[in-house]
Amino acid sequence: MVKINAAHVNPFVEAAMRVVTQVAGIQVRRGHLSYKAKVEPSFGVSIIVGIYGFLTGQIVYSLEGRLAERMVDKMMEGKSPQEKKILFLDCLGEVANMITGNATALLNRGRDQTLNITTPTIASGNNLSVHLVPKAALVLGLITQYGPIEISVAVEEGETLQEAGASDPGLLSEAG
Amino acid sequence: MGKRVMVVDDANFMRTIVKDTLAPNGFEIAGEAANGTEAVQKYAQLKPDLVTMDITMKVKDGLEAAREILSADPDARIVMVTALGQEKMLMDSIALGVRDFVVKPFTRERILSAVEKALR
Repeated sequence: MVKINAAHVNPFVEAAMRVVTQVAGIQVRRGHLSYKAKVEPSFGVSIIVGIYGFLTGQIVYSLEGRLAERMVDKMMEGKSPQEKKILFLDCLGEVANMITGNATALLNRGRDQTLNITTPTIASGNNLSVHLVPKAALVLGLITQYGPIEISVAVEEGETLQEAGASDPGLLSEAG
Repeated sequence: MGKRVMVVDDANFMRTIVKDTLAPNGFEIAGEAANGTEAVQKYAQLKPDLVTMDITMKVKDGLEAAREILSADPDARIVMVTALGQEKMLMDSIALGVRDFVVKPFTRERILSAVEKALR
């Protein structure tokens, strides 16, 4: 039986709003919360971070290329277009790392146990297909002036690392 | 000649930000490493005055790398650079003897001040 607690979503939303505003200077508003029986990123850039500890699973960040480019532009101000291109995925991975880290710090509050995070897996491209351990997710949309960000929180309590596959944050490939 | 710093992070982007902050402020970038194993090897070769060390890295994490570096050179100066949420590993690294830590996302002033303080 799938057990997803809505209280686990809020820290990711709070952290995303704070980090994106701080590092990229982009204002973020909350969008709608929905449930998906299986994580399927909606946009062209996907970043997956595994978490394990008292919660286990994956967080999938999905955003449009235009927004991703704007974020990288701002974070790498002063760098050449060539350097920005080389560090594009790396830069977005760090944003996901910071958001997930900030969110787990919020989730860790008042607990003896702590959550750990895996290094991010990132991919971008059209017709991107993401193969994850099939899990249900709570999905929250965030709205920015450059396009939406979708955060899929597919975590459960009391699983082992291996069962949830957090050690393997996902396989990404381009279809077609 | 400025103090020599080795920058360790699995994200090229973060290494670039740290290097771009330190180099114009009189520090020499002695080298860089993308994981803990590389960091331990390069520390032995390069003998930098200070290491900035990410915690979450594949192959060998920053905590383990710091432990090995400090075991070989107890005077090593290491500043941990990490995302929030890694408090347990951060506390463990402070117990090991790292000099300071910087939480991502950080300002350039913060990393500069941590490095300068650790080198005093």
